Amino acid sequence: MNQIEIDDLNKHYGAYHALRDINLKIPAGSFVALIGPSGCGKSTLLRTIAGLEKFTGGTLRIAGEVMNTRPPRERDVAMVFQSYALYPHMDVERNMTYSLRLKRRPREEILERAKSAANTLGLTALLSRKPRELSGGQRQRVAMGRAIVRNPKVFLFDEPLSNLDAELRVRMRGEIRRLHERLGATSVYVTHDQIEAMTMADYVVVLRAGRIEQQGAPLDLYDRPANRFVAGFIGSPSMNFLPARVAEDGRTAILGEADGQRIDLGREVEPGREILVGMRPEHLQIRPASDATGLQATVELLESTGSMTFMEARLAGAPITVSQAGRMAAARGEPVRLQIDPENLRLFDPATEAAI
Amino acid sequence: MKRYILLAVALVSVAVYLFPLYWMYVTALKSGTEIFQYPPTFWPPHPQWNFRQVFLQHSMASYLWNSLVIAVGVTAITVVIGTGAAYSLARIRNRWTSVALFTVLMLQVLPSSLMVTPLFVAFNQMGLLATPRLAVTLAQAAKVLTLYIVICRSTFLQVPRELEEAALVDGNSRIGAFFRIIVPLARNGILVTSVLIFLQSFGEFVYSRSLISEKSLQTATVGLSEFVGPQINDWNGIMTYSAIYITPILIVFVLLQRRIVSGLTAGALK
Repeated sequence: MNQIEIDDLNKHYGAYHALRDINLKIPAGSFVALIGPSGCGKSTLLRTIAGLEKFTGGTLRIAGEVMNTRPPRERDVAMVFQSYALYPHMDVERNMTYSLRLKRRPREEILERAKSAANTLGLTALLSRKPRELSGGQRQRVAMGRAIVRNPKVFLFDEPLSNLDAELRVRMRGEIRRLHERLGATSVYVTHDQIEAMTMADYVVVLRAGRIEQQGAPLDLYDRPANRFVAGFIGSPSMNFLPARVAEDGRTAILGEADGQRIDLGREVEPGREILVGMRPEHLQIRPASDATGLQATVELLESTGSMTFMEARLAGAPITVSQAGRMAAARGEPVRLQIDPENLRLFDPATEAAI
Repeated sequence: MKRYILLAVALVSVAVYLFPLYWMYVTALKSGTEIFQYPPTFWPPHPQWNFRQVFLQHSMASYLWNSLVIAVGVTAITVVIGTGAAYSLARIRNRWTSVALFTVLMLQVLPSSLMVTPLFVAFNQMGLLATPRLAVTLAQAAKVLTLYIVICRSTFLQVPRELEEAALVDGNSRIGAFFRIIVPLARNGILVTSVLIFLQSFGEFVYSRSLISEKSLQTATVGLSEFVGPQINDWNGIMTYSAIYITPILIVFVLLQRRIVSGLTAGALK
């Protein structure tokens, strides 16, 4: 069953078309990430689901009910805001149970739910503190607590981890994911961090300029990007794109200039066609210059994180990035050979940017 | 060292500001001849306690009551209308908001002495002069409303919009979110501005002087002005009257001033 169904949703801000023909089905119990660069409409879409934004066309259903014009309080959704939005004049317990008190639930039930949420999130000792007396991580937990106390139909997360430091962010990532597995509630998670999306979600929706570019399982997006944008957005470091022309035989392409290096495409493409060859940094293998095969490139810069080495190089006149596990030494300007399995090449049309 | 200099500067400024207040109380306690004595005495050797006499003689009870009625009325009207106006001007942003704000500020520019004649004519035609205290209340409310809206609006601007949205998602209606989340958080701003409005209205002169003819309905400021005539200059009486008039205001202000300095919204975000 689908918990959220969005059909042909459009939203205009005056002349600005913020969301274009959004179609999205979110099955009950799934964890969906909305991802895209800033201004792509991901937060707007989330706020539309919450009822904080109106839309100009289409239908939105939550648990089968049309919600188009219902106010937020009739949608039974909980939201965790980027800024946490804790009520500063209420202590942690009252912050978490505000929604229950509004619904006039019995006193014992409120207390019990607050306790169990506080237990889950490790907030038991902080129940009588005010938000200003909490650290960033604790505030984040209270914001989560406020959502889980309600036991809502849908959880909405609006970049909840972006205000935390790197270490805490990684820890909360796992915690949110575990929480989701335990509660099993449908969650929609907005982020601009593709690693967050890839690691947490079981379904990823990539947006750009108000349009859904591609949706699917995280590894599907990684393996089979529908267009150049998704290919470049998913994966870190980004995919390299090199302009090329398919040779007469239809199975190889010539990189850069007419007399450039040839690369095996591993499949049949219309001869003479202009293409963009996409290569993920982690799929390129660095070989010594003395090798007989492979693409010839020159080293420009090496960056090592200890466990990984990132090489900036120049291939057929274009800058590319290669990443490799372990360490290596190479001087600037040194020639190397790069090898890639034709299986791992992604081809795009330079005009439409769609995958070939 | 720098701390002590700053402290000294602060103390001197406070002394300069408070000197007139001190002089008012001291003069109220002096006798007629002692007031003009040179060099002046800074503490009267034989203080005269004629507060009770001045209070009764000048029927201050009635004056102060009228001032209070008008000030409370003005504050009530302003808070009810102004809070809503300030909130909508803080939340809605478009071309018309700027126009509205500009108009509101323009009204603040017009002085009471300019407005009083048209108001008198208008109120007279509407029959409002039959209830002169109501007329003054309305006129004064219209005047101070602009100040209230402008100050309160900036308070509302400081309440993050996310808090309201969180309240909506948590199950509040818009009105519920306004009263249960927004107003409590803007409480200090509302309170401080209301006190300002109250004090300003408590000391209102021009409208009361012009719109109220009945002496029993007149306000304390107008009563004070009666001391100054062509022949008599009863400085001791003026200062005693002023002391009685101002002391309650001072007490209210001192009691509330702690509220004025506290950041309630700290901790809402991040």
